[in-house]
Amino acid sequence: MSHEVNDMRTRVIRSALWTLLALFLAAPAVAQTIRHEIFVSSPTLESGETMPRVYTPDGRNLSPPITWERLPAGTRELAVVCSDFGAGNPPPWVHWIIYGIPATATGLPEELPILPDTPMPPELAGAIQGLNGWRRPYYRGPAPPAGTPHLYHFTVYALDADLGLKPGLTREKLLRAIEGHIIGQGDLVPVYERF
Amino acid sequence: MTDQKRPQLISRRALLRRAGAASAAAAAGTAGVPEVAAFPMETAETTPAPTSETPQTTSPVGGHAAYEHLTAEEAELLEAIADQLIPADEVGPGALAAGAVVYIDRSLGGALADARDAYRGGLAAFDRYCRSSRGAPFRELSHVDQVSALIDVETGAATGAGTGFAGSSAAFFGMVRSHVLQGTFGDPYYGGNRDFVGWDLIKYPGVRTSVWPRLQTQLEAGDLAPNHRSAYDSENFEKAVVRATSRGTSHGD
Repeated sequence: MSHEVNDMRTRVIRSALWTLLALFLAAPAVAQTIRHEIFVSSPTLESGETMPRVYTPDGRNLSPPITWERLPAGTRELAVVCSDFGAGNPPPWVHWIIYGIPATATGLPEELPILPDTPMPPELAGAIQGLNGWRRPYYRGPAPPAGTPHLYHFTVYALDADLGLKPGLTREKLLRAIEGHIIGQGDLVPVYERF
Repeated sequence: MTDQKRPQLISRRALLRRAGAASAAAAAGTAGVPEVAAFPMETAETTPAPTSETPQTTSPVGGHAAYEHLTAEEAELLEAIADQLIPADEVGPGALAAGAVVYIDRSLGGALADARDAYRGGLAAFDRYCRSSRGAPFRELSHVDQVSALIDVETGAATGAGTGFAGSSAAFFGMVRSHVLQGTFGDPYYGGNRDFVGWDLIKYPGVRTSVWPRLQTQLEAGDLAPNHRSAYDSENFEKAVVRATSRGTSHGD
C-alpha cells in the first residue's frame, strides 16, 4: 500500500515539475505581472483532488461548474482557460476556452453547450467558447494516458476592457489579445488519472 | 439542451461540401481502412463473409434493410451512428434514406471485406463505451449525449473503462465516417445513394459523357436537371471489379 502511495506521490511530483517547466516555457505569452489574485472554486472540483468522471470522456464529459470571487475593481470582462501543462506538443494541451464573459457573472454553470445552435445561459450572454486543442469550440475533459495523473488548470482572467474578441480564438491568440489587459488571475487545479 | 432538435456533429453544409470528393470516388477501395482488433459483441453472429466479384447493383430493401453481413445489433447501432453523421433535416434526406448502412453491409462481403473485423470490434467497443460512460446504449441516449459520445470517439478520447478500442477510437470513427459518405454520395451501382438522394442533396446532376452548350449553361445556372443515371448505365464505363482477396481495385475507366 505504501508503495502505491509513494508511486502516486512520485507521479504527482513529476507531473508538477512538468507543469512548472511548461509554465516557464509559456512565460513569454503571459509575461504581464498579475498583482490581484482571484479566488476560483467549484461546487464539484477542488485543487489537488480527482475530478469526477462526469467531467471526462469516461463519463458524460460535461463542462464543470466554476465560480469566482474577489474580482479586481475595474473588471470589464472575464476569460477562462483549462490547460494541461503536462501534455501537448508544445504544452499545454487546451481543453476549454471561454471568453467575453460579462463581468457580472459569478461563475460558469455545469454543462455549457456543445451544439452550435444551443445558446449560452442568459447570465453569460455574449460569451464565446474558443477553440480547444482538438480545435473544437466547446469543453472536452481530461483523457490522459492510463497510469499518469495530470493536472488541469482552470485559469480565470479578469480583464480591464471589453475587447470585442471574435469567435474562433485559440489559447495562444486569446493570450496575445488580452496581453496588457489582465488585472486579476486565479486558478483551480484538480487532478485526473485513468487506470 | 436541445434534445428535440437533430444534433449535428459537423455542420451539414460543411460536410456536404467535403462530400463532393467522396461522390466522385464512388468505387469503395479498402486502402487506408484502419485496423481495429476484433472484439465481438456477445450477440454477434459469425456469418462468414461471402466473396463477391461484383457488388450489388441495387439495394434489395424497401423498408427495413435485410442485412447480410452485419448482425441485427451491429446494424442497428451503425444506423444510429449514420443518422447522426448525416441526419435527415430541412435540407433533405440523410444517410439512412440513402441506404448508407446497406452499402456498408453489402461491401463487407466484397470491397470492404478486410474491414469486417474492424466493424465487429469497433461497434462492440463503441457499445461498451456508451454504456460505461453514459450509462445506456447509444440509441437510448439523448441527442446531446449521442453527439458527445461520438465526439469522444472521433477525438480518440474513448479509450478508457476497458472499452476495447484497439489503438485510437479515432481510427474507427474515421473508417465509419468515410464509408457513410461513400454510401450516401457514391454511385448507386455500389449499393448506396438509394434513388440518387445523395446526389440530389448536393445537387449533382449526374454523369454525362457529352455536354453541349445548352447543358453547360444550365449547369452553370444551377438549372440542369439530374439525369439519375449511374455512371455504369453508360456503355463508356466498364464496371469496377473488386475482389475481397485483393488489395487492388481495378476500374474499367
